[in-house]
Amino acid sequence: MIRYTASLILLVLLAVILQQFIPAFTPLFGSRLMLVVLVFLCAASTVSAPVMLLLAFLCGFLADAENALATQAGDPEVYTRPVESLRFGYSIALYAVMGYLMQGIQPLFRQGKWQFSALLSGIAVFLYLLVEYLLINFVRGGFSFTRWTFLRIAFSSGITMLLSPVVFWLLFQLADRSQYRIRFDGLKRRTRTPAY
Amino acid sequence: MKPLNLLALLVFLAGLTWALTRSERSVREIQATYYRAISPFLTVGSSLEARARAFLDEVEHSKLLEAEVGAMRDDYGRLKLIESQFRKVEEENAALRRALDFQERTRFEVVAARVTRRQPTTWWQTVEIDRGEASGIATAYTVVTDQGLVGKIDRLGDQRSTVLLLTDEACQVSAKVEGSPEVGILQGQREQFGGVPTLRLRFLSRDARLREGMRVFSTGRGGLFPADLLLGEIDRLEPGPLASEALVRPSVDFQNLGTVFVLTPQKEES
Repeated sequence: MIRYTASLILLVLLAVILQQFIPAFTPLFGSRLMLVVLVFLCAASTVSAPVMLLLAFLCGFLADAENALATQAGDPEVYTRPVESLRFGYSIALYAVMGYLMQGIQPLFRQGKWQFSALLSGIAVFLYLLVEYLLINFVRGGFSFTRWTFLRIAFSSGITMLLSPVVFWLLFQLADRSQYRIRFDGLKRRTRTPAY
Repeated sequence: MKPLNLLALLVFLAGLTWALTRSERSVREIQATYYRAISPFLTVGSSLEARARAFLDEVEHSKLLEAEVGAMRDDYGRLKLIESQFRKVEEENAALRRALDFQERTRFEVVAARVTRRQPTTWWQTVEIDRGEASGIATAYTVVTDQGLVGKIDRLGDQRSTVLLLTDEACQVSAKVEGSPEVGILQGQREQFGGVPTLRLRFLSRDARLREGMRVFSTGRGGLFPADLLLGEIDRLEPGPLASEALVRPSVDFQNLGTVFVLTPQKEES
């Protein structure tokens, strides 16, 4: 368990570095492959709630360290209405909510139906980006939601979801190597009770 | 809920509260540490990418490159000449100002930087450049090109930094319109895709008389950007009941940013 958790943390850190080299897909409305989010979502399906929360904190913290904007420190007499930005730490909460969402269908995952988790990872990314955008609208005021925004969120979720089988495969390999058991009830051979 | 899960949730909530209550300064320190930590990987990645690109360019366009280098050398020589003349004029200007007891105009040194990454975040309009604290850059420094204002430094690392572009909603500039008494706040608009982004010049007077093509410059007020930086041109005026607003075409081509210049602080004159 500890070895698997440690390897997940290393995998998250590796994803953070790889993410730096993945460009945005400009022809697809600036959508992007959200590798760190995907690794977290897939990992959340395979671990207990405490470990999921640990990963949520780590991923959210790193996401905000990379993305949080500084507040504009101009003269308040000139810049009377500074633009608010999302507070450092909000991503941690978002990650945790998504993690709980993934754990909601953990029983299906443990039965070997990983396809549901893969599909849910796409839905979770969609919800993550949607909530993030709505939060930006909320703190800055002036609601706007264009078709382009929707397509950007949709394509980002779709592209990210497509990679989820690879991440699941990677997690199974890690689990094998760290002797962590991701239980597959569905793959167990059923033993019939002899009728007397 | 299992006791262990409940305990984990409580610890998580404590951690979340700690993160949410970080001050601006703490956040900046966390970000600087983060950038320092990932910087070696990014440098290696960027240099590999640059080498690969240079190799391919060399193979495919060696003659073209040769011609370009020749032209750049010519331009460089010409610019050196212009710069030396400019320095002379500037020194003369400063001396005259001193003689007239005027306040000396702010002077800047520039640090050239290459854009290494475009749109690194989902929602913010930012680019990353290959210069950071080690080159004398600090947060909120102004970034320009020969076409005009690009933005300001937002996040800072040793060898790289992130520039918040003028097209982002969070980047506000106190602006004036050439040939009119109008001043306002220029800022980007949320979620613009495709084509040339437009900026919004707000808080103009109700009966502002602006024409298409009038140039917009920074005023230098507010302590964020120096004065007289070209920002764009008026595209359309939108009169309102209390104040007018104008849409502005930015002077900088943000789609094709290659090399930018960071204005470092003014020199102390002896």
